[in-house]
Amino acid sequence: MAKLRTEEFLVNMGPHHPSTHGVCRLVLTMDGEKVVHIEPVIGYLHRAIEKICENRTYPQCSPMMDRFEYVTAMASDHVYALAVEKLAGLEVPERAEYLRVIMVELNRIASHLIFWGVTAMDVGAYTPFLYGLREREDIIDLFEMTCGQRLTYNYIRIGGVSQDIPDEFVPKCREFMDKLWGKFADYEGLLNENPIWLVRTKGIGVLTAEKAIAFGASGPVLRASGVDYDVRRDDPYSIYDKFNFEIPTQKNGDSYDRFIQRIDEMKASLRIIEQALDNLPEGDIKCKVKPKFKPPAGEVYSRIESARGEMGVYIRSDGSTKPVRVKLRGSSYNHLRLVPEIATDVLIADLVTIFATLDIIMPEVDR
Amino acid sequence: MNKDELKEKILKLSQGTMTPSESGVFDLMFDVKPSDLMKVALMLRDHENLKFDFLNNISGVDTGERFEVVYSLSSITFSLRLDFKVALPYDQAVIESTKEVWPAAEWHEREIWELFGIDIANHGDLNRFLLPDDWDQGYPMRKDWDAPDFIRMPQL
Amino acid sequence: MGLIKKVPVYAEQIPGGGIVATQLESILSHSQACSMWYLLFATACCAIELMCTGASRYDFDRLGMIFRPTPRQADLIIAAGTITKKMAPRLRRLYDQMAEPRYVIAMGGCTIKGGPFYYDSYAVEKGIDHIVPVDIYIPGCPPRPESLLEGCLHLQKKIKSQKLADWHEK
Repeated sequence: MAKLRTEEFLVNMGPHHPSTHGVCRLVLTMDGEKVVHIEPVIGYLHRAIEKICENRTYPQCSPMMDRFEYVTAMASDHVYALAVEKLAGLEVPERAEYLRVIMVELNRIASHLIFWGVTAMDVGAYTPFLYGLREREDIIDLFEMTCGQRLTYNYIRIGGVSQDIPDEFVPKCREFMDKLWGKFADYEGLLNENPIWLVRTKGIGVLTAEKAIAFGASGPVLRASGVDYDVRRDDPYSIYDKFNFEIPTQKNGDSYDRFIQRIDEMKASLRIIEQALDNLPEGDIKCKVKPKFKPPAGEVYSRIESARGEMGVYIRSDGSTKPVRVKLRGSSYNHLRLVPEIATDVLIADLVTIFATLDIIMPEVDR
Repeated sequence: MNKDELKEKILKLSQGTMTPSESGVFDLMFDVKPSDLMKVALMLRDHENLKFDFLNNISGVDTGERFEVVYSLSSITFSLRLDFKVALPYDQAVIESTKEVWPAAEWHEREIWELFGIDIANHGDLNRFLLPDDWDQGYPMRKDWDAPDFIRMPQL
Repeated sequence: MGLIKKVPVYAEQIPGGGIVATQLESILSHSQACSMWYLLFATACCAIELMCTGASRYDFDRLGMIFRPTPRQADLIIAAGTITKKMAPRLRRLYDQMAEPRYVIAMGGCTIKGGPFYYDSYAVEKGIDHIVPVDIYIPGCPPRPESLLEGCLHLQKKIKSQKLADWHEK
């Protein structure tokens, strides 16, 4: 009996696919059900934000930063404002710093709730999506009360924040935090010990610490592989050195650890918000910035710890009102480069799990 | 160690290949010649007191007079930060690839090649990345680039 | 669907046959408007608002709309997000793969005329109405879920006022 001949074939996981978190195209070479080689093709959301910023003044670039990473738009605004303030040597008043920290940490929780819901939906469980987005609506109500927008806030500006919080913000925020603490038991009970979930995610897509550092992975992906590094603690910016918070890490670096890591980070963020609300001082919310804002010539690279990892902005200025170069660095850019490294010799369903737990969103890759 | 100690240490270890630059406003900034790039990169990554193994960012800049490629690095073990840049004239825009030293550099360099036109030697994988497949209108991030359907914002 | 289009032609020739065509129209368009299945096509920021509209607080399911991952089973594309020059042929291809009658909602400023990326961007397609024929435009950056729901209600009204003879190739 002659031996059956097998051949490898190409499958295109195209730009429009319900589980690629945006428009990413993966060209897979498959041997049966196993993936042998992956090539990511990107650029389907390249909107040339960096070229646009070269023809705008410094305050006019601020709304473009929201569109760079819209799931954590507060963090994108924050990193740009930090970079420009370093260039110009501005000092931000303390109340503004506390408000910035509260908003950024709330946004981190909102982003992790979306991650939790969307990852579960990708792997096949539909319920967490509705639960996660239901809690996120409360956070969005808080943001809308403050700055009027649900998604692209433009709240953190050069020199401070744009508006002060209304009086009902603090009680409503505390009410939300109490509610969320009570929900964690539900969330962990849904999936963490579920045998199907454990089979789908444990041991899938193991990322070692050396590979993570070499490829520039950061944030929860790096900490889930066992590397204890967080920009908020190791290279402190803003007023993070005044809070004490623990940085969770995991041991194995597989998809299950990346999933658990973000739930732990939500709890750490809640503690930071509590400390910030307890110590919120009175004062100004922004410092004086000239209408024709001209920072001195120079260059700076500034980075923060956003929900997905390290987000950075490099600005080069020549002393005029418009920047010479604004380069945006998103963490998903490096994480997408990891996918061909850790997702070979897996089944195609595992590829979806790996892609989902790395929490890649395409505007950070394509800008 | 703080910034001044780091600067002295780097100046001593680099033996003249890295010269401090005044344009870095917050972190340390050095100038490196294109021919010394690989030596500097290996020294920064491998020296046991520096260990700059994490590449944050590579940006290409078109200043109007020349190209510059800016590398931003950090060290996870010692929590240090440093930048350095390589200046390239317009007519000799070739730089060596550092993807053997930091694998994260591969995609950053591919993007610089595609948007600025700076050639990367020893890269091996320079093809279409962010722009459409049938793009034939040059290198868009250069300062002197223009195209018929490129609408600039009017200055008021 | 081809046979149904012939009904008004024959029904009008019978005295009093116009009533048949009108009743048939209203039943068909009502049932179509109350059960639009939309294609999950989401590129950029408006995608998050689309997801929120489909989730618990603002529910799409009460209008009969659920998402389908494949264009063969959808009769509405909500184009949410910036369409770049690299993505435009793929949008046209998805639209061509849908079965008629099919509708397009352009959600957000980027799909109307380029949005915040109109000036100084070399890679953005400034509006989608020269790629696919658009029925409803929803402005906003991003539009609130209430705006999106109102847009869908306008689309329902537009479908209910359609005549059978209008279901032609677009």
